[in-house]
Amino acid sequence: MRTRATLSMRRYISWLVGTAATILWGGALINSAYPTEQPSPTKIDFNRDIRPILSENCFYCHGQDGNKREGGIRLDQRDDAIASRAILPENPSESGLLQRIQSNDPDLLMPPPDSNRRLSDEQKKLLRAWIAEGASYSDHWAFTKPTRPPEPSVRHAAWIKNPIDAFLLHRMEREGLAPAPEADRSTLIKRLYSDLIGLPPSPEEVKAFVDNEDPLAYEKLVDHLMQSEHYGERMALPWLDAARYADSNGFQQDGDTWQWMWRDWVVKALNQNLPFDQFSIWQLAGDLLPEATLEQKIASGFNRNHLLNGEGGAIAEEQRFVILFDRMDTTSTVFLGLTMACAQCHDHKYDPITQKDYYQLMDAFNRVPETGTPQFFSKRIRVGRPFIEVPSEEVESHLAKLDSQITDLDSKLRPLLEAAFHGWKAGALSDPRPAESKVLPEPVLKLLTKDSSQRSDEDNKSLDTELRKHFDSKVKDLLADKLPFLTELNKLRKERADYVADQMPRPMIMSDEQPRETHILVRGEYLKPGEKVTFNTPSFLPSLPEDAPKNRLGFARWLFSEEQPLTARVQVNRMWQHFFGVGLVKTSEDFGVQSEYPLHLDLLDWLAVEFRESGWDMKRLNRLIVTSAAYRQSSRFSPVLLSYDPENRYYSRANRFRMPSMVLRDWALASSGLLDRRIGGRPVYPYQPDGIWESLAITKERDFTYPTSNGSDLVRRSLYTFWRRTVGPANMFDASNRQTCKVRVTSTSTPLHALTTLNDPTWVEASRALATWCMKQSPDRLQQLRLAFSRILCREPSQAEMGRLDQAFTKQQAFFANPDADAKAFLKVGATPVDEQLNANDLASLTVVCLTLFNLDEALTRE
Amino acid sequence: MNQHHLPIDSSLLAENQARVTRRQLFGRGASGIGVAALASLFESECKADASSSNGKGNPGLPELPHFPAKAKRVVVLWQGGGPSHVDLFDEKPVMQSMAMKEIPDSIRGTTRLSTMTSGNGKWPCVPAIKPFQSYGQSDMRLSSMLPKIGGIADEMTLIRSLYTEAVNHAPGVTYFLTGSQVPGRPSMGAWLNYGLGSETDELPTFVVMTSSDKGKTCGQLFFDYYWGSGFLPSRFQGVRFRNTGDPVPYLATPNGMSREMRRAMLDDIAALNTEHLADYGDPEIETRIAQYEMAFRMQTSVPDLMDFSKETTSTIERYGPDALVKGTFANNCLVARRLLERGVRFVQLMHAGWDQHNNLYTQLEQQCLDTDAPAAALVQDLKERGLLEDTLVIWAAEFGRTPFGQGNPDKPNGRDHFGKAFSWWMAGGGVKKGFTYGSTDDYAWNITENPVHVHDMQATILHLCGIDHTRLTYRFQGRQFRLTDIHGEVAHAIINA
Repeated sequence: MRTRATLSMRRYISWLVGTAATILWGGALINSAYPTEQPSPTKIDFNRDIRPILSENCFYCHGQDGNKREGGIRLDQRDDAIASRAILPENPSESGLLQRIQSNDPDLLMPPPDSNRRLSDEQKKLLRAWIAEGASYSDHWAFTKPTRPPEPSVRHAAWIKNPIDAFLLHRMEREGLAPAPEADRSTLIKRLYSDLIGLPPSPEEVKAFVDNEDPLAYEKLVDHLMQSEHYGERMALPWLDAARYADSNGFQQDGDTWQWMWRDWVVKALNQNLPFDQFSIWQLAGDLLPEATLEQKIASGFNRNHLLNGEGGAIAEEQRFVILFDRMDTTSTVFLGLTMACAQCHDHKYDPITQKDYYQLMDAFNRVPETGTPQFFSKRIRVGRPFIEVPSEEVESHLAKLDSQITDLDSKLRPLLEAAFHGWKAGALSDPRPAESKVLPEPVLKLLTKDSSQRSDEDNKSLDTELRKHFDSKVKDLLADKLPFLTELNKLRKERADYVADQMPRPMIMSDEQPRETHILVRGEYLKPGEKVTFNTPSFLPSLPEDAPKNRLGFARWLFSEEQPLTARVQVNRMWQHFFGVGLVKTSEDFGVQSEYPLHLDLLDWLAVEFRESGWDMKRLNRLIVTSAAYRQSSRFSPVLLSYDPENRYYSRANRFRMPSMVLRDWALASSGLLDRRIGGRPVYPYQPDGIWESLAITKERDFTYPTSNGSDLVRRSLYTFWRRTVGPANMFDASNRQTCKVRVTSTSTPLHALTTLNDPTWVEASRALATWCMKQSPDRLQQLRLAFSRILCREPSQAEMGRLDQAFTKQQAFFANPDADAKAFLKVGATPVDEQLNANDLASLTVVCLTLFNLDEALTRE
Repeated sequence: MNQHHLPIDSSLLAENQARVTRRQLFGRGASGIGVAALASLFESECKADASSSNGKGNPGLPELPHFPAKAKRVVVLWQGGGPSHVDLFDEKPVMQSMAMKEIPDSIRGTTRLSTMTSGNGKWPCVPAIKPFQSYGQSDMRLSSMLPKIGGIADEMTLIRSLYTEAVNHAPGVTYFLTGSQVPGRPSMGAWLNYGLGSETDELPTFVVMTSSDKGKTCGQLFFDYYWGSGFLPSRFQGVRFRNTGDPVPYLATPNGMSREMRRAMLDDIAALNTEHLADYGDPEIETRIAQYEMAFRMQTSVPDLMDFSKETTSTIERYGPDALVKGTFANNCLVARRLLERGVRFVQLMHAGWDQHNNLYTQLEQQCLDTDAPAAALVQDLKERGLLEDTLVIWAAEFGRTPFGQGNPDKPNGRDHFGKAFSWWMAGGGVKKGFTYGSTDDYAWNITENPVHVHDMQATILHLCGIDHTRLTYRFQGRQFRLTDIHGEVAHAIINA
């Protein structure tokens, strides 16, 4: 199908070229050096050509969901299809399927007219041809183990830098395309910095790279960036989206959590290049590893990054199932590229996942000692069990201080208390009618009914114990004004308890300490348990090894077994997506039968095998991708290619895409010199417009005032910004909402984004900081403009651009001389003090020019 | 650089050569195909990604509407917390005679209740706390606490037979607004934005405003997924106009910077971007230029929207004493009318205040006072301006409240959440006038006639907008998703033929 559509597009282009455009570019776009291959009728491939048609149009009623199957006809299995005479190999005319799709009778026509599905003539022809050829089926490509395909031969081998290029060039040559030339070096260094560390290179770094004559300069730059500790910060961004990481629970009280400790672990693991199998096993089952380390336990927080609902009236068990379903969704999407959610209620319509498969797998996640709702610790902190306590040095030293004060007071108080107790005890025992005083507890009164002479030693002992208990809990505090130190001690103890509740880091982790029975839930409803099941992996995938533990750890290791078809493909696809904007499988969240058939399946499989055989080495695979010739191409469009291959599925250029909003903010802070580059730690609270949190707080249960940070915490990297799950940071547009798992990026362009980068104090202050720095570097106006330009855009400006900037500056200078503008007010935006040494009008004008530069398409785009 | 860095097969340079001429191809003064021509050439390919919240840029899906729409615009007046249908809309004389007696087991059945009352041993029947009365020529029976809404009874369809499976606020609201109790799906406004596109170049297509009861007795949060775009591209999500500061975040030009300066700045950005477009030929650059222009227009159109100086005193008074107080439901209703007049397709007002667990006797009437006049005024205003005809007004909530009392069983002072039966009203946009639909048993507990499920209501709203709810779909995770999931029957009976 795809091939045919492409060919017709090619004819259209050649018509276009032949009529209108030849005069302009001589028909050279599809390079004449590449004689285009004549379209040869390719053999029909079931997975590529037929399955998508059947899956989209037929499987809903004639697929593997037995409960929904219509007329007993099943088309996803060849034997069943033949048995029901829907398909008779090599005999299309007699095949029921053909008869029904070509019927003129609306009652017989398939798909039924009211299904809103319709086959095109071309699809009908293809089905006919396929049956005529023998109607061969093959297993869905993603469910069979990838094998390493041979590197294809190409005509222009000189272009190739590594096997990635061989696969892509082979395809381009078949399509009559040529790769784009390599991007110029300033573009390349900007691209690498953006993709690998998410920060801009300095003009000096750009110049050094541009002038570097070492033939391995590029590769050395890549290695240098991969060693940077900012590499992990950049690479973590998509993983945080996938893991729906946030710093609060969501819902009404939206309590804060300590999951940032998990986030710090991710950054560290990526920097240390923990192999992807370990990286994953720790996150799925770190707590179950033999003698699990603290880090491994924290890593298991991956599946505790879910929403937690503590609303009044919430039914805890229902919420526990919401969490379980989310865990299943996230885990299957991230590691298997499967959307298992459908099988929560019924057998999957398209993929061979049964409802039983779903609940068998869920059994591994159904052993967590959790209630479904969070627990109150302080007005701010609410986390749900299980968690671990991880006191930082700061917390430990603060507690040690409090404890020593407590011990000190306690030792002073103890003799006094002892004396008080004895006095009180004597009084209590001398009471002739203790029962009437009604203050002493029951066990004491019982003992007192015996005469003192009749009490045994044991009686006396327990009397003393009971009295002491009563004294401590009920009497002591009444004596506060008579007992020095007591009030102070009580206050300190409360202070300690409050401090622990609010400040003791308690990251939520996984645990299997509460095994439960798992049942298939009828229609996915938690109140309707059906058949009991025990853990197993989905039956259509390789089976769990006999000796594997029947729990999450067994599951996690199974993901990385030799036979596993999905894990490696799904991950390399996401890595590809990181560097090309789109995955080789566009639907990076779905590798099931409804996914797009990958145009470059051979490359995907080669990468998957390479990744697995390298020991799941993430840095190595990333390096392979960014050192390919394909990655290094220019991202310039050529008009005909734009029309011929608008989505650039043949990779005959590099992709341009807007940088993620988190990177945009980091870029602005870094190029202005404001960025605080510390790694990790508690979340921070940079500028936010007034009322973003407050207006959501329609509850008195906690204070939702946004606690804006001070000093350098205002300018930490964006991944450290506190992420309130009910309302994300206002300036992080196009970001995942961190409520459910998200593995595909979106990049859109709206006026609201423009308003953000034009007016957010973050960008205005960054512009002023950059302008200030430029003015201090040089008194020369043109030099200042050139510096500002190169710090943001990572290249030297052209003559024309310099002219435009100079004019822009002069214009703004004139405006600032007018009364309706106010340079001083403008310069006060942001917390950094204004440099009073500099001429306010000049500084303000240069600031506007910097803001202009930050808003250029080129500055917002990774090209 | 390439000379010393990478020996390129000379034959590959032919392609490069074509790129060298791109300036002539894309450039404005070129004799060949200019930017505009190229844009139209690639339009069909790039349209979906190049659109914006802008009349021309966001035309919606070509196949929509599926049939002529009765409603072009929708305004949802969300009454969060769960207003008591027992007290406001569903009159039950039997309950008066059963006051403080147990609600019969035969009525209660096995209804799933929230954990706040599911453990109760007693279920004392609490009848409406204030009398009902007849309104309009249609003799619609509504609470005497809703005199102004009563005044528009002859414009309304009252539905007494809604039901939901949700027991709590967030899942209940998410259900009605997105089709699923669990967050992650696109909201109704996002679907309409995606499907029908925009009618204005000046304002977002989908606007949200929030308000709450003055005492903040309600404790409801408004989550952004109530107007989120789920798996649809994020440009379809609702834009929340805020009550404090700029209505849209970052709307105001920085202090000290005049509008002329901003204009000059945008001219420079556009000029440099156009140069870059000529160099790179990426249509996204054109989109960006357009988005910056729209941002500039919004910097005027939004303040203009919020400037009430041309509203007459009588209009303002109609919305009640809070009409000019920012962040109130009344003020939001007035802004809503102005948004609808300006062609905004979907306005969603989120009001919290109806969660009367323990303050039924004090807060319910207060809520009525705060919301009765503004909601009625909006309908009246739209009617007078000829907009009600094709604007659908929906007074909606996640559920109703229990017919039994909550709190001390001998002296209950509130009602708990109740999703088994509750009431909404709608007006304009093709619904019947002065019409009542559906009914419940003697205790307003079980629906006895014409049940309307969450998904049925969604199907009906889409139908009024000219959309077959089974055909507005979006492919995600390997399947076609829709607002109504796999359910939903249009309630044709409430639609004006």
